[in-house]
Amino acid sequence: MTAATAGISRDTERTRRREGWLRRLPLLPALLFTILVTQLPFLFNIYFSLTKWKVVPPQPRTFNGIGNYTALFGNQFFREAVVTSAVMTISAVVLSVLLGMGLALLLDRQFLGRGFLRTLLITPFLIMPVVAALIWKTQILHSVYGVLNWVLARLGAEPIEFVSRLPLWSVVAVLVWEWSPFMMLIILAGLSGQSTDSLEAARVDGASSTTIFFRITLPQLRPFLELGALLGSIYLIQVFDEIQVLTGGGPGSTNVPYFVYQRSIGGGWDFGQAAAYSNVVVVAAIVLATLGLRTLSGLLPKEGSE
Amino acid sequence: MTRSPNRFASKVKIPALLAALAMVATACGGSGGATTGPGTTAVGSTAAPGDRSLNVAIVGNPQMEDIASLTPDLFTAETGIAVEYTVLVEQTLREIVTRDVGVGGEQFDVVMIGMFEAPQFGANGWLVNLTPYAEADTAYNFADLIPTVRDGLSFEGGMYAAPFYAESSFVMFRQDVLDAAGLEMPAAPTWDEVAEIARAVDSDEMAGICLRGKPGWGDLGAAFTTVANTFGATWWLANPDGSIGAAQIDQPEFAEALNFYVDLLNDAGENDAANASFNECLGLYLDGKVAMWYDATVAAGLLEASDSAVKGLNGYALAPTKVTDTSGWLWAWALAIPQNAPDPDTAWEYISWATSADYIAAAGEALPGGWAAVPPGTRQSTYDNPNYQEAAAAFASKTYDAMLAAPVNNPGTTPRPGLPGVQFVGVPEFQDVGTRCTQEFSAAIAGSQSVDDALVACQAIASEVST
Amino acid sequence: MSDVRMVGQRRWTAVLLTMAAWLVGLTFFFPVLWMLLNGFKTEADANTSPKLVFAPTLEQYRTVTTQTEGLLGFQEAFLNSLVIVGTSTLLVLALAIPASYALSIRPVQKWRDVLFFFISTKFLPIVAGILPLWIIARNLGLLNTRTVLIILYTAVNLPIAIWMLRSFFAEVPRALVEAAQIDGANLRQQIVNVMLPIVAPGVAATALLVVIFAWNEFFLAVQLNPAAGSTIPIWVTSNVSTRGQFLAKLSAASTLATLPVVIAGWVAQKRMIRGLAMGAVK
Repeated sequence: MTAATAGISRDTERTRRREGWLRRLPLLPALLFTILVTQLPFLFNIYFSLTKWKVVPPQPRTFNGIGNYTALFGNQFFREAVVTSAVMTISAVVLSVLLGMGLALLLDRQFLGRGFLRTLLITPFLIMPVVAALIWKTQILHSVYGVLNWVLARLGAEPIEFVSRLPLWSVVAVLVWEWSPFMMLIILAGLSGQSTDSLEAARVDGASSTTIFFRITLPQLRPFLELGALLGSIYLIQVFDEIQVLTGGGPGSTNVPYFVYQRSIGGGWDFGQAAAYSNVVVVAAIVLATLGLRTLSGLLPKEGSE
Repeated sequence: MTRSPNRFASKVKIPALLAALAMVATACGGSGGATTGPGTTAVGSTAAPGDRSLNVAIVGNPQMEDIASLTPDLFTAETGIAVEYTVLVEQTLREIVTRDVGVGGEQFDVVMIGMFEAPQFGANGWLVNLTPYAEADTAYNFADLIPTVRDGLSFEGGMYAAPFYAESSFVMFRQDVLDAAGLEMPAAPTWDEVAEIARAVDSDEMAGICLRGKPGWGDLGAAFTTVANTFGATWWLANPDGSIGAAQIDQPEFAEALNFYVDLLNDAGENDAANASFNECLGLYLDGKVAMWYDATVAAGLLEASDSAVKGLNGYALAPTKVTDTSGWLWAWALAIPQNAPDPDTAWEYISWATSADYIAAAGEALPGGWAAVPPGTRQSTYDNPNYQEAAAAFASKTYDAMLAAPVNNPGTTPRPGLPGVQFVGVPEFQDVGTRCTQEFSAAIAGSQSVDDALVACQAIASEVST
Repeated sequence: MSDVRMVGQRRWTAVLLTMAAWLVGLTFFFPVLWMLLNGFKTEADANTSPKLVFAPTLEQYRTVTTQTEGLLGFQEAFLNSLVIVGTSTLLVLALAIPASYALSIRPVQKWRDVLFFFISTKFLPIVAGILPLWIIARNLGLLNTRTVLIILYTAVNLPIAIWMLRSFFAEVPRALVEAAQIDGANLRQQIVNVMLPIVAPGVAATALLVVIFAWNEFFLAVQLNPAAGSTIPIWVTSNVSTRGQFLAKLSAASTLATLPVVIAGWVAQKRMIRGLAMGAVK
């Protein structure tokens, strides 16, 4: 009897292990590919960050231990870049979600030309960031030839030097313009998934539009808002092109990726230092993301889809 | 499966549309040549013997685009060497070329570099010394190169890049506007005289003067460094061994220069000066929004072009000075051969053609812009040529004077590191320090911080690299 | 209280809302419209005070599409982009679809950690990763080839594709999948015959996003492929100059560069919304 049960449990064990491998198999190509292509550069980066490696003027690459890291935390410009990164990313994400929601609400009705308008509204997301930033800089925000100042002049106001005086907000404006369509699409999806029955019932019961929005629509939209915010943040933290074109860096608009760029191929040519800074960014991002995903309940559900 | 046909249709629709677009694009392709170059071959790998080809990295200025369009007929047809050009924005070009020659990339046979890099890369042993080639090649006429330009590209007597295009700086002004105000610009003015004229002609519709203010060691850095030089200031002292000494931003001369620059912009400068560089001032000047402009000599060619709105209305004066005799900057885009290039001889064949008087003469005949559009500032013979003198009558001699006068080896009143170099300090650290400092200065121009704060910040930045 | 009056009020609000939608929409679209218009102006017109009325010209389009031997032309760049983006998108789908299956339908044990790992690969700023990537590519002889960009674009877009596809897959009713399994369908049959038809809109949505990101990618392309295998973004920026006006030329080039993605976006956006509604979030 023991032998039989032992035999059965050995079989179950083998089946379970086989089951486990069968489940992993479809995942393996993607996982192996990603590990190979992304982790190898990351390991190189860790190695470089432990060396003193300046390319121009050429110096031999020497081992430096954690010298780059200790220098980093005292660097006031890095601290400023961190703050700028935080402000830029958070405001861009929040504003684009809000604007995207506004656009989605306006488009969530049937009217003439709705599809055409929706296509027009996606185009900001489709243009190369470099070109979008150039258009904004020379045609919209320009203090002499820009459209905004042309409007201000018609209203009798003084021209504002947007990019010189408000570098951070100029960059945020361009980012919000580019990413609102992305948020709009996600939110439109959420709105079109709403059940019309509950909406009708609420309206018949005499609920005002505002109440309907806050009590029914918004809670249903929440997962979509969270997804948009997460995906948007991942990309907006790494913003680079818009900063280079609009302000070329500078106090107030240099975020961490741009700061790292300046340390390396942007003129500093100190690859050891740049590697150290970027590793700090990765660690910080991992910490933040872990915290964020724990609190954003919708995205990695605890109950799982087993 | 009712879904499948739709899915298949949608998956086909998009590629079909793209294919249609590709066909439209083919139909739209205009004149110029048969096929494009090889799309995916790496450098020098599969070229058959006798089938030589070169990969050349260039910046996208008009003169460079001109030579790219003339190369098939004027060079490839004669020599059988096919040239593949890669056009990059200046910033990107610098990144890629520096990494290529410095870390070893072998992507390019010939690279276009500036006067900033040439002596440094030569000193690092990253480039082939071109002087032996040039001296052995009698047809090249090495002695014809303008001396200051050649010196600016040399290290210890060897020229490491052949100049394709060179410029100095000077003052351009609307002669008609100054005449109407009863003012006269001397041929070699001082900065005080220029400032006075600028403030006198400044009005709401037309700013007195356009000066660069955009952050960047090559933008505001170039213009302002010439001002600082002629005010007796300098970025760093030099140690006895030539290395970077103490930062000199905190000296009174530097503060005087920066205050002068910022005040002039505030009183008589263009709008949004903190964002203005060459292109922005060019647009304003052509549009009649500024009366004067201190910038590169090559701008004159654009101001006097046949389609320019201000053609024939301009006067030119040498770069303004204060305590030094001359102050114009010197910049050249030059062609160099990386040390590990597989075929330096073929590369020299190309370079000697591209920087020769023959090319300039041929371009003068072939280009739509004519003689006024040839690459300026590299050879004496260009300025001796009657065709050029006629086409560029308004500015040719002034440009030539400016180029000869550029104080390449002695730009200021104090010894300094990083010579030769007028509007920059020829040390690699200057890229980073210059960019970060000019960002501080630019903020002062924009009014976001005071000049004193900018100077303090810059002193800290510059001191980081002192030895 | 008259129903008529309520209906009348509703109609009035409806008209107002439609007008508001158009107004906001067109204002939002304005910079793109400006870029479109610039492509038909001369440089003099484009670099001065904003003009809605001007004499249109095709000179910019003619200039940017002129094929000069030895210079990167629109056709070559377009072909490179098409091959690189097309291949990497197909690769992304080929890798992400089975992977998403393994993270949703029959999930591996640590599926949350795996998802986190994938998204964490996007935390390293690309400007930092470029040096190791360049060194590796150089040593493998992959600089200036289409292959290197195909590989990198796949790696860069895979995490997002997996995140999105996983949620779509999680929407598929269990009963259907279980029925297929009982019927003896193997993995490939399950995915292709049962699941893909249902999540097809979601797959189209993901594919479109991947195409957009890969098509407009500039930094990796210019750092690794400047001399050959160059893509559309490199062609567009080759029109920028520091010594001369270029805005009209750039606008024309950019319009041409954006058209393929706009068309793809227009065709797919209806599907995209349906796809996202089906369950990008759960």
